[in-house]
Amino acid sequence: MTKQACVCLLTVVALLAGYGCGEALPESYGMLLKGGHVIDPKNEISAPMDVAIDEGKIVAVRESLPEDRAEKVVDVSGLYVTPGLIDLHAHVYAGTGIPRVLTGDSSVYPDHFSFRSGCTTLVDVGSSGHRNFEDFKDRVIDRSKTRVLVMLNVAGGGMGPDGEDNPEDMEPEKIAAMAKKYPDIIVGVKTAHYSGPEWVSVERAVEAAGLADIPVMVDFGANHPKERPIGELYLEKLRPGDIYTHMYSGLRVELTDEGKINPSMFQGRERGIIFDIGHGGGSFTWRVAVPAYEQGFPPDTISTDLHTGSMNAGMKDMTNVMSKILNLGSSLEEVVRMSTWKPAEVIKRTELGHLSEGAIADVTVLRLDEGDFGFLDVRRITLKGNKLLTAELTIKGGHVEWDLNGRAGEDWETFYADEKNRVDPWR
Amino acid sequence: MKLFTLLIGLLLIPCSLMSQTYDLLLKGGKVIDPRNGINALMDVAVSGNKIARVAESISPTEAKKTVDVSGFSVTPGLVDIHVHVYTGTGNKNSYTGDRSVYPDGFTFRSGVTTVVDAGSSGWTNFPDFKNRVIDISKTRVLALLNIVGKGMAGRNDIEQDTSDMDPKATAKRAKEHPDIIVGIKSAHFHGPEWTSVDKAVEAGKLADLPVMIDFGTFQEARPFQELVLDHLRPGDIYTHGYKRQVPYVDDKHKLLPYLAQARKRGVKFDVGHGGGSFSWKNAVPAIRQGFWPDSISTDLHIGSMNAGMKDMTNVMSKILSQGVPLYDVIKMSTWNPAQQMKRSDLGHLSEGAVADIAVLRLDHGRFGLVDAQRARLMATKLLVCEMTIRDGQVAWDLNGRTATDYREAYGLM
Repeated sequence: MTKQACVCLLTVVALLAGYGCGEALPESYGMLLKGGHVIDPKNEISAPMDVAIDEGKIVAVRESLPEDRAEKVVDVSGLYVTPGLIDLHAHVYAGTGIPRVLTGDSSVYPDHFSFRSGCTTLVDVGSSGHRNFEDFKDRVIDRSKTRVLVMLNVAGGGMGPDGEDNPEDMEPEKIAAMAKKYPDIIVGVKTAHYSGPEWVSVERAVEAAGLADIPVMVDFGANHPKERPIGELYLEKLRPGDIYTHMYSGLRVELTDEGKINPSMFQGRERGIIFDIGHGGGSFTWRVAVPAYEQGFPPDTISTDLHTGSMNAGMKDMTNVMSKILNLGSSLEEVVRMSTWKPAEVIKRTELGHLSEGAIADVTVLRLDEGDFGFLDVRRITLKGNKLLTAELTIKGGHVEWDLNGRAGEDWETFYADEKNRVDPWR
Repeated sequence: MKLFTLLIGLLLIPCSLMSQTYDLLLKGGKVIDPRNGINALMDVAVSGNKIARVAESISPTEAKKTVDVSGFSVTPGLVDIHVHVYTGTGNKNSYTGDRSVYPDGFTFRSGVTTVVDAGSSGWTNFPDFKNRVIDISKTRVLALLNIVGKGMAGRNDIEQDTSDMDPKATAKRAKEHPDIIVGIKSAHFHGPEWTSVDKAVEAGKLADLPVMIDFGTFQEARPFQELVLDHLRPGDIYTHGYKRQVPYVDDKHKLLPYLAQARKRGVKFDVGHGGGSFSWKNAVPAIRQGFWPDSISTDLHIGSMNAGMKDMTNVMSKILSQGVPLYDVIKMSTWNPAQQMKRSDLGHLSEGAVADIAVLRLDHGRFGLVDAQRARLMATKLLVCEMTIRDGQVAWDLNGRTATDYREAYGLM
C-alpha cells in the first residue's frame, strides 16, 4: 500500500466515524426535526441538518434523513435547532412561604419559565445551602420537569432569612459532604451577597469546592476595591474554571473610571476564570456591556439570574438575554455555545449541551426575528437592536415541553375528522 | 453664552414642572375602551395611580414622561377570571399547591392586571391562600370560593365530599372579604347528582354573588342543557365554554337552539381554556355561527401554561382568529368579566379609574394556535403584550419603551 493510499483510507475511515456511519441509519425513529439549521457548538456543526429522536435520545444528525422512517415529522425549516439551553444562574427555591428571600417568595418555580424560553436545564446558584438543600430538593427539584442542578451556598442556610454574612455558618466539610451525597444534582459552590471586606466567604467556598472537586461561582457582594479588589479574586483567590457572575454589573469596578474594562478581567480570563452574565434585577448594564464588546470582552456563559425581581424587568427570560448578547455583536453560533456547551463544560456535565448521536434528546428550536426591538437593562436604559430570539419548540428527554406554534401538533380539521378524537357529547 | 443658556434653563424648569400635570402619557395609540364605547386614536394620561385624562390630543409638555405607543392598542388592564394561583403550600398534584402557579410571573407579560382564582380555595383554606399569595402579589388577585370547604385539595376524594359543601359557611367567608371574594365555584364534581351545583347556587344566593361552574364529569343523567337552562341563575357563569363534551351542533353542524335560550336567560359563557377545555371542534362552528364567548379566560395552571393555552393574549388571539373583531375581544377580556364579577370599578379607562392599562400589539403573519387536544389551527393575527401598567406603575415593558434610550443617556446622539 502506498503512503498516499494509506492516508486516503484513513481519511475515509475518519469521515465515516465522524458522521456516525459506522452505525447504520436507524430503521425508525419517533420524531424527525426536518429542514432546520443545526447549531451544535460541541460538535462544531452549523449547517442545514435533520435531527432524529427516539426513546429520549438523539439517534441521528445528518444532512438529510428520510421522513418515512419517522412516526412524527416536524417541519422546522427556517429555524435553528440547538441543544436544550442551559441557564447557569437561576433561583428556583420557591414555595416555602418565607417572604422576601430567595429561599422562598423571591424565587420562582422552574417549569413556569424554563421551557417557554428554550431551557431544559437550570442551575440554581446558592438559593439553598447544605442545611436546606434537601428541603429544596423535595419541594422543587424532584417535582420539576426541568432538569434542576444546584450550586450550594457557602452559607449553611443559603439565601434564607439568616443571611449570608456569618462566617461561622460557612463550613466547607459539611458543604462538600452534601455535594458528594448528591453528585447528580450538586455541581458547584456559590458565594453571594457577602458584605465583606474580608475574603472568608470566597476562601471557604473555594475550600469546599476543592474538597468536592466542583467549581465555585462568585457573586462578589459589596464593593471593597481596596481590601478586596476583583483582580486579586481572579488572579489569586479563584481557581481556573471558577466562575465570576454578574460580569457586566459595573458594581465592583468591572469598568474603570476611564471607561476601560478592568485589565484584571483579561488576565483572569487568561488564567481560566469563567465570566458569566447573571443578568438579574441589578446586574446587567449597557454602560459596561457596550464598552466590554468594543474592547473585546464578551461573556463565556449567558445566564438569567431568574427570580421575581428580574422576571418582569429588563431580564425577562433566557432568549431575551441571549438576544442582548447577539445584538452586542456575538455571532449566533457563539451565543448558542455560551448557552449550551460552554455552561455544560463549566459545571462538568459534559453529557449535556450537545446533539451528539446517543446524547439525551434535550433540543431547542429557535426562531431569529429581524425587526426593531428595544432591550432594557437594569438601570432602565434601552438599547435598540434588530435581532430577537424566540423559543419555538423545546424538547426535553424526547418529550415536547413547549410548542409555540403547534408545529408538533396536528391540523385541527384532520384531527377531528377522526371519530375517535371527537368525544361526541351527551345530547 | 453657556451660562446664559443655563440660567434660562433654570428659570424654565419650575414653569415646565408646574405644567407637568401628568406622570405618564401614552401618546398616539388606539384606545379600545368598550365600557365607554371608545375605539379611536386617543392619548391616555396617568397621574399617580389613576387615569387622569383620555383625549384626542394631550401635549407631551403636560407630562413628566411621554411614551410613544403609536401603532398599538391601548386597553384597560386585562381581567382573567379563571386562574389557579394558590401555590406554595407543598401540596402535591393539587390546585391548593403544586398545580397552581404564582400570578406575577404570568400576568403582566400577558397584559393582565387582575386575575380571579376560580375555586382553588374554599372557605376553610381561603385565609391561608390570602396570606400566602394574594397579599404578596403585585397582580390584583380576586377569588371565587369553592363550594367545597377545602377547595381543590384533592380531585377524586375531597372535591367529591358533599358533606364538605356548606353554603352558609361559604357565604359567611365571602362576606368577610367582599374586596376579594367575588363569587362561588363548583368544579370537578363527578355526580351524577346536582349537589355541587345546587349548593354553589345556594351559597351564591346567600352572599349575593355569581356562581361559576366547571361541570366536572359530563353525565347522561345530568344533561348540560339543564345546567344552563334550569340550575344556573342569570349572571351565573359556565366556564370551559368550548370544551369537547359540550353539545354545540346538530348532525348538520347547525348550532343547537338551547344555547341562545341560555344566553337569553342571562347565563354567561366563559372560555376557561385550561389544559383540557378548549376544542376547535366546538369553538370554530360556535363562534362562526355567532355564539361568541361572554368572557375570555385562561384557566392558568401548570397543566395549561406550557400547552395550548400559554397565556391570556394567546387565548385572545384564538377568539380573534374566528373573525371576532378586536374591539369585542377586548370587551370579553376587560369590561365583560369585570361586570360578571360585579367589579365595575375595573375593566375600563374612565377618568378617575385605577390606572390598570395594557398596550397590545397585533402582529400579522402565520401563527399556529393549539387547542387542548394539541390540534392546530393556522391564524394570521397574534396579540402580543407590549406594556402593562398596574396601579400607575409600569409592570411590564417588552421593548423598553418607557425607559431612556442608550444613546441619549450617554450623550451619543
